[in-house]
Amino acid sequence: MSHTIEKPTDITIPSSSMWAKLPVLGGICAATGLGATLAMAFGEHQARAMFSYLWAYEVWLAVALGALGWVMIDQIVRAGWSAVVRRISETAAATLPVFIVLFIPIVTVGYHALYPWTHETDAILERKRWFLSTPFFMGRAGFYLLVWAALSIYLYRMSVKQDAAGNDDMAKARISRSIWRFSAVGIILYVLTQSFQAIDWMMSLQPHWYSTIFGVYYFAASTLAFFAFITLVSMGLQKAGVLKKAITIEHYHDLGKYLFGYTIFWAYIAFSQFILIWYANIPEETEFYIARLHGGWEWVSYALPVLHFFVPFLYLLSRQVKRKQLLLGLGATWILLMHLIDLYWLILPNFGAHGEGHHEPHLALSWLDMAALVGIGGVFMATFGWLLARNKVVCVNDPRLPESLAHENY
Amino acid sequence: MATANAAAVNLPDDPNVRGDVVLDEPVAGREPLVRGQHDFHSVTEMVCRVNEVPLKKTPMPFVFGTLLASAVFAMFGGYIGYLIWVGPGIWGNNNPVGWAWDIVNFVFWVGIGHAGTLISAILYLFRQKWRTSINRYAEAMTIFAVLAASSCVALHTGRVWMDYYLFPLPNQMGLWPNFRSPLEWDVFAVNTYLIVSLLFWYTGMVPDFATLRDRATVKWRQLFYGVLALGWRGSMRHWVTYEKAYQILAAFSAPLVLSVHTIVSFDFAVSQLPGWHTTIFPPYFVAGAIFSGFAMVQTLMLPARHWLGLKDLVTVKHIENMNKVILLTGSLVGYAYAMEFFVAAYSGNQYESFTFINRATGPYWWSYWIMLSCNVVTPQLFWFRKIRTSVGWSFVLSIFVNIGMWFERFVITVTSLHRDALVSSWDYFVPVTEALYLLGTFGLFFTLFLLFIRFFPVIAMSEVKGVMPQANPHWSGYDKKGHHAPAHAAVEEVHP
Repeated sequence: MSHTIEKPTDITIPSSSMWAKLPVLGGICAATGLGATLAMAFGEHQARAMFSYLWAYEVWLAVALGALGWVMIDQIVRAGWSAVVRRISETAAATLPVFIVLFIPIVTVGYHALYPWTHETDAILERKRWFLSTPFFMGRAGFYLLVWAALSIYLYRMSVKQDAAGNDDMAKARISRSIWRFSAVGIILYVLTQSFQAIDWMMSLQPHWYSTIFGVYYFAASTLAFFAFITLVSMGLQKAGVLKKAITIEHYHDLGKYLFGYTIFWAYIAFSQFILIWYANIPEETEFYIARLHGGWEWVSYALPVLHFFVPFLYLLSRQVKRKQLLLGLGATWILLMHLIDLYWLILPNFGAHGEGHHEPHLALSWLDMAALVGIGGVFMATFGWLLARNKVVCVNDPRLPESLAHENY
Repeated sequence: MATANAAAVNLPDDPNVRGDVVLDEPVAGREPLVRGQHDFHSVTEMVCRVNEVPLKKTPMPFVFGTLLASAVFAMFGGYIGYLIWVGPGIWGNNNPVGWAWDIVNFVFWVGIGHAGTLISAILYLFRQKWRTSINRYAEAMTIFAVLAASSCVALHTGRVWMDYYLFPLPNQMGLWPNFRSPLEWDVFAVNTYLIVSLLFWYTGMVPDFATLRDRATVKWRQLFYGVLALGWRGSMRHWVTYEKAYQILAAFSAPLVLSVHTIVSFDFAVSQLPGWHTTIFPPYFVAGAIFSGFAMVQTLMLPARHWLGLKDLVTVKHIENMNKVILLTGSLVGYAYAMEFFVAAYSGNQYESFTFINRATGPYWWSYWIMLSCNVVTPQLFWFRKIRTSVGWSFVLSIFVNIGMWFERFVITVTSLHRDALVSSWDYFVPVTEALYLLGTFGLFFTLFLLFIRFFPVIAMSEVKGVMPQANPHWSGYDKKGHHAPAHAAVEEVHP
């Protein structure tokens, strides 16, 4: 018949590469970044530090959650092309248990500084008490975090277990089938928890405001950020001499298509939310955009459709761009940068908008933003690097791996 | 790979049974998309047979069915005449329920259309090869559904003879449509949709028309298909151009899957009415549209594959895949219902809360529960593989979805309106002659659909051939057992 594809052999991270040093490098970033942010959080800039912290938390959580969702979707739809990069996303998702620990400052030092409904009241908030109350809020947060940890640990463990299955086809098949069944149920929990997480931790920053599409908005943002992340990590791993032949331009092309597609999806959701609120012009809803159209925030609001949609849309439209590593890498970096700005725009205008001495929102960057971003990013990358080095970088026994290795766009 | 192979063998020889046999899902490789020992010629035979029956020998049940459908269609013509003569007063519409079945029927039909575009454009871009067996009649369904939808929306304007004002035609009175109204955007969205879908459908059919032309043994058929085939000769150059055109049309159609129903949702959501104004409407409507469309494809396809003997091409695997899409989109719709309900409670806005509680417990409670049970509850049965691979269950549940999705639009349109802000304006909408109106659109739809089955190739022959093992340059024939090439053959082979 025909020749069979070689299985990749460069499937562990060389100890000399930067990837192997990630736990240490990430640890240093985490110690300095988190140290600085949390030190400030106990001082007079508590609220500012905690807003930076929440932003950084959501930025990295989006990547990990995007990974978790995609691993499950990938398994449910029996995707063939992607087996070669799935371990990377499983590993990114497996960082989720760390986010339990990282969440603690938000509900301790930051709790009152972030969420005005915890200590303020008015007629509207009184009617929201059934949902926005400390015990219920804490219970929900615990539930989300535990669900994510359980889902991601199971998926990661099972996948690693499949690595060890050797040539036992039946065992490999059994594991794949278990993962399929698990993912089908898991995706429901995932969709609900990630939506309500967005409502709880971000929408309730502006507690009068509500929008039914908000969960979908966060889903779009997080999946897009994840695809940018996995594209860049794949490139970085190949630079370090891992999966040199296994990940081909065909896989990058498909990742590029996803970046392109989710760029459109994000814009679609963002536009839907905006036009409906703008058109109906109901005060309960317009307050969200009004806060983002004053005090310097208007420039971010005007820039987002251009820089987060039109620029990457036109750029990634080209097949040539998606099929050149350097160009695609630039696109992915850009999208990741836009993801930072997008969440910044969602979260930061609420800083100082409530409580004593509250003021009109105004755009003011702080070094704390960078500190928090590097700090939480350090924890995330250290965990990611540690997990990545512990096991093979590719699902070697995934029954769909041959299909993925032979993948071609046509 | 043992499991993959095990799936491929042990198929019965009877083509009336073979397509319904449920195979184990292979863990590696893919289930064959065409069952039985078919080659390109036998696929052509299987599909063209339907169209090549001499007119006088058209099976009686088919003639009877077409007559019935066209009788209903004719009744619809009479109903339209009556509507134009008397005016929309023949409906139960009144203050405060100014929109009722006219809009419900429109949204119902235009939603159904979306599955065709999703199957032909988005599944194509996602390389879902199984789409080739179902895309043709899904696309046909799209076009007829959009026509049915247009007949509703064009007739609800009251003075139908003034409908041309919907288009921005320069006129001496300087009268223009209101470009800021989503109703006007609808005019453009639906027309664009109709044109692009028609082009897509037709472009895909050109090679198949040429096949029918070449096989024609009667003059009229030669002429009919000859004209439709646009001089297709099947040369390499033709194919290259065709493939390019097809891909570009797919890329154009893909955003239409989102845009059309998004704008339909804007018709409601840009207002300030609780129950209509909510930001999740655009993606929620799109999911619902795909949901109802796939259900309608099932409703049409399951009998068709049986009566037309196409079970080898439209296998239980295709049915299962579609049921999975129904399960997914049904759950997304359920998510939207839940999110609306939750945010109504979360908002602390008493009008929002009232609307949703009123939907579930008010005078139209029955429509709400029909909607919820048909759209969210019963599709969940598709979690069980036994049910989603059963032809009978699939058919029954697809009918449920059709009913549920009609009621969804009824719930949205009527229940949101019937409780006006002023209690003195509250009313209970009761339809008068509208049942005939809905029935009439079905007459229009089925007449066109049955004619399509009779005269056009119902399966995209050229595309199905492209996903058969024979299309692989390394294919080495069916295996000794006489049933199938190994399902994973295409996987282990690397293209140079």
